[in-house]
Amino acid sequence: MLEIAEKVLNMALGKGARDAVVRVQYKTYESIVFDNGVMRSCSISRVSGVSLTVYVGGVVGYSYTSVLDDRALARTVEEALAIARTVGERVPEQELKSIELRSARGVYRTDYKVDPLSVDLDTKTKLIGTLNSESMKKEGIVSAFTRYGFERDKKVVVSSFGSNVGVDVMAIGVAHTAVARHGEVVERVYDQKTFIGGYEYIDSFDWASFVDDINNLAIKTSQAPTITPGTYEVVVDSELVGLLLHEAFGHASEGDIVYAELSVLRDKMGRKIASDIVTIVDEGLVQGGYPVPYDDEGVKKERTYVVKDGVLVGFLHSICTARKLGQSVTGNARAQDITFNPIVRQTNFYMMPGDAEVEELFEGIEYGLYLRGRGAGGGQVDTSMGTFTFGVGPSYVIRNGEAAELVRGVIVSGNILKTLMDVDMVGKDLSISTSVFGGCGKDGQMVRVGGGGPHVRIKKVVVGTR
Amino acid sequence: MIDVERIVEKGIKTAEGLGASEAEIHVVENSSVSIVATRRGIESVGRRSLLTVDVRVSLGKRVTVQGAVVSSEKDVLDLIERAVSIVKVVPEDPNWVSLPRNCGYTPTSGIVDNKVKNMDTEYYKSLIVDVLQKPGHIDKRAFASEVSVEAGTLRRWIGNSYTSSAMTYEKTSFFFGVAVKAVEEGYEGSYHSFYLAPTLKEFDPDHLVEKSTTLAVASLRAKPIDTGRYTVVLAPRVLAAVLRALLVPAIRADQVQKNRSPLAKKLFDKIFAESITIVDDGAAPNMIGSAPFDDEGIPTKRKTVVDKGALLTYLYDTYTAYIDNQESTGNAFRAGLGVPPAPNASNMIVIPGTDPLETIIRDVKDVIVVHATIGEWLSNPVNGNLGATITNAIYYKNGESVQAVKGVALSGNIYSMLAEDLVTLSREVELVGNMLVPSVCIRNVSIAGR
Repeated sequence: MLEIAEKVLNMALGKGARDAVVRVQYKTYESIVFDNGVMRSCSISRVSGVSLTVYVGGVVGYSYTSVLDDRALARTVEEALAIARTVGERVPEQELKSIELRSARGVYRTDYKVDPLSVDLDTKTKLIGTLNSESMKKEGIVSAFTRYGFERDKKVVVSSFGSNVGVDVMAIGVAHTAVARHGEVVERVYDQKTFIGGYEYIDSFDWASFVDDINNLAIKTSQAPTITPGTYEVVVDSELVGLLLHEAFGHASEGDIVYAELSVLRDKMGRKIASDIVTIVDEGLVQGGYPVPYDDEGVKKERTYVVKDGVLVGFLHSICTARKLGQSVTGNARAQDITFNPIVRQTNFYMMPGDAEVEELFEGIEYGLYLRGRGAGGGQVDTSMGTFTFGVGPSYVIRNGEAAELVRGVIVSGNILKTLMDVDMVGKDLSISTSVFGGCGKDGQMVRVGGGGPHVRIKKVVVGTR
Repeated sequence: MIDVERIVEKGIKTAEGLGASEAEIHVVENSSVSIVATRRGIESVGRRSLLTVDVRVSLGKRVTVQGAVVSSEKDVLDLIERAVSIVKVVPEDPNWVSLPRNCGYTPTSGIVDNKVKNMDTEYYKSLIVDVLQKPGHIDKRAFASEVSVEAGTLRRWIGNSYTSSAMTYEKTSFFFGVAVKAVEEGYEGSYHSFYLAPTLKEFDPDHLVEKSTTLAVASLRAKPIDTGRYTVVLAPRVLAAVLRALLVPAIRADQVQKNRSPLAKKLFDKIFAESITIVDDGAAPNMIGSAPFDDEGIPTKRKTVVDKGALLTYLYDTYTAYIDNQESTGNAFRAGLGVPPAPNASNMIVIPGTDPLETIIRDVKDVIVVHATIGEWLSNPVNGNLGATITNAIYYKNGESVQAVKGVALSGNIYSMLAEDLVTLSREVELVGNMLVPSVCIRNVSIAGR
């Protein structure tokens, strides 16, 4: 892989590219799906090849090929340069800010004991088939959808900036959706568990209990009432904090969105935008998250502070956006695979823990909500205005400082800056997770991300139902 | 270059030769150019070209689909070999009957535009540069924050053990989006308009810019309203999003068969008000979901799904049609590589009402017109409950605008909103992706705000 990458880099520089980044990637995804007792899918898909990004005066030219012979590689170089020159040097080189680019060298590999692709297909289909069919036998469950997913992403990145890195990450897990009916009420609950490593995690984890918990939660949710829409004081769990931060705040901190003036944060650097007890970071290697030791431009991904003690202190950057905004590169250029050019993406975006015990967050709330991330439906944000909305998992009413009855179908809305200002307690717990079944979608590209944080308490959140 | 027609036919024979009872080869070649600009000018130009292959093989009642990005004939043959080796070990599917046996074409028009096909980058660049100037000319407080264009050409080939040769068609697609922002005295408003269709026939960039600018400026001082129940008008793009999130999953035969639809056992029941008629048309001219055949080769069709409020049919692919002893409605779609086809809506057309929107706003007296929401896709299709957050809305009293609204959560259930709570449908319709829909006025909608 390294030999091909270096060959393409030299070809690009020899043809006049001032700067270039080459990726050689081999990505495999294995999926097994059982739906209502029947296997609906069992597939292994692969994307492999080489991609080239060239930089001409603030404009990026990009091309890729899955054919690795000299003719195809030469054509890829020509195409990338031609695309960059089509737009021309809209931003003259001298207007681009000079930034420090530290080259990275190294190799990162996920530890594993059992290669999932070496495990007999029959073993995997039996496991997922059994989990699915046992769910269907449970009283109250009317539909069940169970998935096994494994991904191996192996790549080499070399650049004219001196980087030469190798990354080989394995992620594996099981996801389950249960649909329960109680009278006329039908509710669904989805959850997944992903490990970074090999099949040993499938062998050692109690998947039957994991799936049964989801089934039970779906059944209880179908029997639960809905809440009255309005404004509530809430405690938010780690999982939902992660979702909320990623969608409602993380995207607004991405350098390309800031540069395009599409971010609510664009003119707020150095200003207080959150409660003093809020610190938010993006970090490549963190327990429970998805490993991003280097980004797809070969830049080392370390911890980036975005908010420190309530003050906006940084944005996330690729080489291109860092140069345009005159800020430091942060190692956040990522692509779904070689068929896409890297754009600014989050890695593991999370809130740092505070100093309160989780129980303390509930104290003093006479009537509020404990909002849970398990079974949440994701969210959406208008980054330019900061308006967000989220589907929340089955949650609990808080009465007199304690979590009480379960409620279903909760959505939350608000403005992210106002919501972060309204954070009045941050727990000392910390939980971060990732998913091999989804991730973050932006400009048609999906990348794996991690997220989470501690429990937090927010004074006012608009709550609706779905 | 791969001779796709030859490889489809060769691939089927190869799979059968390796032991498959049936084989299907599905090939898609997708080429596109995309340009993104901000108020600073053009930021990026991208070209993509991808050849993907899906192989579906069966062996008795065992079936599997394998997919890959390919670049040579060898890649396709490797994929076929892998599919046949996997199909031998997967469990039987008791519902499996056969690959489609009645493939064919429906005559379609308005799905190819040579100007789009040519991917003339210079034309798109000049279009974008022009559009970037316009919001400021309409209103000094406004500017185009993002303008994007994507022009693409798709060619699809499909063949199976029952087709005499590979079937094929070509289709173009054109997307144009313009986001406008308005800024005044610390207040901000924004709105995004878009056009998505196979051709440029109905493309009117001036109208899109004007609409985005007007709504961005109108939203400048938007704020939440009090929590309560209101009469609302959902603009076409909001109704389209609601139908996409709640109705489309509920009429998919696979979701019905798996107890994930509230419309199970509701065939021929009244599910909506008398004034609601909804058609799924896989061959409508200049609509993005149109094609001569679906993703497994079945001719597309026009079918009335809801007739005067009564549910007439679900949407079927071949697999789900066999289960219900029906014929496929030509609604098979593939969601990704290696994923089996499943039913989905092609183009959804809601028959409009007779009243102009202006008259509805005036007559209702106290109404919130919702122009945009986010998060409607978080709604729950298994029970029909809608949840969305309003980002652009105008509150009217006696036909006069009194307040711009944003940041409130809208809730309801589609089976009451479009039934007993339905007031009326507008005369005007709008093309919103694969939907052609009017505005809809609904009473008693719950809004969580202040």
